[in-house]
Amino acid sequence: MSQEKLKIGIYELTGCAGDALLILDCEKELLDIFNAADIQSFLMAKSDNIDGELDVALVEGSVTTEKEIEELKDIRKRAKLVVAIGLCATVGGIQARFLDPKEWRDNYKNVYGDVNMTHVKAIQSKPIDEYIEVDYYLPGCPIGKEQFLNFFTRFLRGNPPEKTQNPVCVSCKYNENDCLLKNGIFCLGPVTADGCGSICINHNLPCIGCWGPLDVANRTAEFYLLKEKGYSVDEIKKKMANYAGTKIAEFFEEFGKEKR
Amino acid sequence: MKKITIDHLARVEGNGGITAIIDGKVVTDVKFNIFEGPRLIERLTVGRTPEEDVSIAPRICAICTVSHKNAVLRGMENALSVIVPPKVGLARELMHMGEMIESHSLHVYYLALPDYVGFPNAIAMASKFAFEVKIALEMKEYGNHIMKVLSGRYIHGENPVIGGFGKYPTKEELLWIKSRAIQFMPFVYKTVSLFCELNYPDCPEDDTLYACCEPGNDAYGFWGDEILLSTGEKIFRDDYKKLTNEFIVPHSYAKRSRYNGKPYSVGALARVNNLGERLEGEAGEWYKKYFNDRWKKNPLFHNAAQALEILCCFEKIPKLVDEMLQLPEDPPIVKHSAKEGKGTGLVEAPRGLLIHHYEINDGLVEHADIITPTAQNAEEIERYCHIAAQKLLDEGQENEIRDRLDLVVRAFDPCISCSAHLADVKKAPQENWKEKLAKIKSEGTPIFVGVGNPNRSDDALGIDLAQRLREEGVRHVWLEAELREKALPFKNQNNYPTIFLDAIDFQEEPGRIILLPLEFVFRKVSLSHRFAPFIHAFQNNEQLKNAYILGIQPESVKEGRSISPAVRGALNKILEYLKN
Repeated sequence: MSQEKLKIGIYELTGCAGDALLILDCEKELLDIFNAADIQSFLMAKSDNIDGELDVALVEGSVTTEKEIEELKDIRKRAKLVVAIGLCATVGGIQARFLDPKEWRDNYKNVYGDVNMTHVKAIQSKPIDEYIEVDYYLPGCPIGKEQFLNFFTRFLRGNPPEKTQNPVCVSCKYNENDCLLKNGIFCLGPVTADGCGSICINHNLPCIGCWGPLDVANRTAEFYLLKEKGYSVDEIKKKMANYAGTKIAEFFEEFGKEKR
Repeated sequence: MKKITIDHLARVEGNGGITAIIDGKVVTDVKFNIFEGPRLIERLTVGRTPEEDVSIAPRICAICTVSHKNAVLRGMENALSVIVPPKVGLARELMHMGEMIESHSLHVYYLALPDYVGFPNAIAMASKFAFEVKIALEMKEYGNHIMKVLSGRYIHGENPVIGGFGKYPTKEELLWIKSRAIQFMPFVYKTVSLFCELNYPDCPEDDTLYACCEPGNDAYGFWGDEILLSTGEKIFRDDYKKLTNEFIVPHSYAKRSRYNGKPYSVGALARVNNLGERLEGEAGEWYKKYFNDRWKKNPLFHNAAQALEILCCFEKIPKLVDEMLQLPEDPPIVKHSAKEGKGTGLVEAPRGLLIHHYEINDGLVEHADIITPTAQNAEEIERYCHIAAQKLLDEGQENEIRDRLDLVVRAFDPCISCSAHLADVKKAPQENWKEKLAKIKSEGTPIFVGVGNPNRSDDALGIDLAQRLREEGVRHVWLEAELREKALPFKNQNNYPTIFLDAIDFQEEPGRIILLPLEFVFRKVSLSHRFAPFIHAFQNNEQLKNAYILGIQPESVKEGRSISPAVRGALNKILEYLKN
């Protein structure tokens, strides 16, 4: 084949580095990945990184410093396609939970006091699509091996990735688990994007929502169901917000109006 | 002045850099910058239930996800007085060893080894070390597999919960883990000899204070209820602040730690230094064969220590599996009713001591404190980079600095995502002494001490400058000759900064001005003799840290009583500045 290899860059903004690590965790497939594509930049894996034109940029992590906005805009300029990987890049991550700027500032002050940071300026955590256009999203905290390899191989053949359309409940039913909600246990499966294969419920534990909110989910129904099971509004809101980042704000706003 | 910068440290976990500033022949400053933005993880745990936080807190870092899980579990269980059955402890230990094997094998083979064999990365290294690269990957995969079986997922598994596990591994899964451990042994021995026999450069060597968990029962292990220091001191878990004393520096979002004013090291090397004598079996034999005094002071031996720990884990896993199989009943999750309490969890993450502290009130977490290993090592990383850079500069190997600093930082196996990329060597800007002096002055009225020999031309500049400062009415100015028995003639109770005025040969053009902490001259032998007699005059480390040298590059220090025009010009500049 004389066709040129796809130029790929893997970038990490602020996060736990779990999504980049998961790519490294594809042990058996790792050498094949490096052979099949031209990995131009992958800080966690190599030191001879080049910042040039790219076919695809995979970006992990949320934007939490002004320097990262510049880096991100530079990546967008150099890349034909940008893919957000992981919960932090797609919704802002757990650290995007302080939706109100004042609440964020107070918490920031609580941790760092009044020390004036000299190297980079911190800003409230946001998903990458707040600053640049994103072509595809791979959710998950962290992303899954199969999900990544599926995306990667489809891409190499020039096919776009498939969007997550199902809630966790679909996998859960395939895995023949008993419904935890039915038994009164707080489970976020119905409103969470699938991809993990209902891993927690397979371990007799409820879904905590770590793949982020599924956009087509009926959150209102989940809310009232949980209330009916005896959970307080405060508890439901907190647990729904834990892994939903900035993408839950709209729901809470709409929901608030409905209640009034 | 010159600056060596490594903006993004490659092959480390997270986003950080090292900057070294070189002024002539003196390394004046080294900073370990962390660009990873703040995520306020501790604040995210506040107002949530202990169960939610057991899932939220480990997301601080994917690389030590299991260590964070075990630390948060131990912290919460201590706070809520939950006592878990023995099988839970065994399963957690097995899960922890999975992470040790995964993290150490990734670090030694993929992140560290390419430096020693001259390749940019492990993939390129595969052309010559195909076997090692392949089997190391299998070893890492094995570690991952253990974590997946026990925790439910490769990263951020949710199976371990307060009081136990959602589901236990089956007998078949456990027996597979045992049989694979035995199959790996020949390669494990190869790993130990490879990394214990590597030729580690001697540039970063200095006395080091090591801290790790005291596993108790005279055993080698990865958690405990006390912290053990290389001095023999022990600190109970809830008193961890005696060790860490976190503080913030403006060039990093990772907090810093010092013990009694002294930076300390954590990690595999700290554990082997403090607990190595307790290693049993083959690991004990190999420890006796390779351990020597250089392990006590050279951070590059982290890689050798990690290899020893890989062996230790592989030897222990079959035993752990047998013990678990003797306890056939899977215990249910231990329920707890406590709604309040305070608790600390101490765990050894692959890269060192990890502390999680929680305070729970009315069923919700009210306060959380997480201290990560890289945050504790940050001061040591700067200190060793400084020592290494100065040594290379003294030996005329300036071009080597960048690569060696990379090596030093990487040896610490820093995990920056959880503490908050690598090296940069810079020449300092011409006038940066003014900026530094203004900063010192803003922190307290400085005491000036003029030092030098008035009969050796430019060496008289310190004395000359002190006299002229007095004439200008500047307070707190002293001359070397006035200091009885070389003791500082004042009770420096308020920790006022002390500034020595002197000629410093830092091999720049004559008349160049430099301002550097007194501490730094001890890392450069040719400068230190003059100041050595003053050291005992400082009552404590804080005072010593607050002492500086304001120096001028002399043209000549031959016998004679005239100061050169270049130095004279510099003197006027300083005088002009201090007058205002």
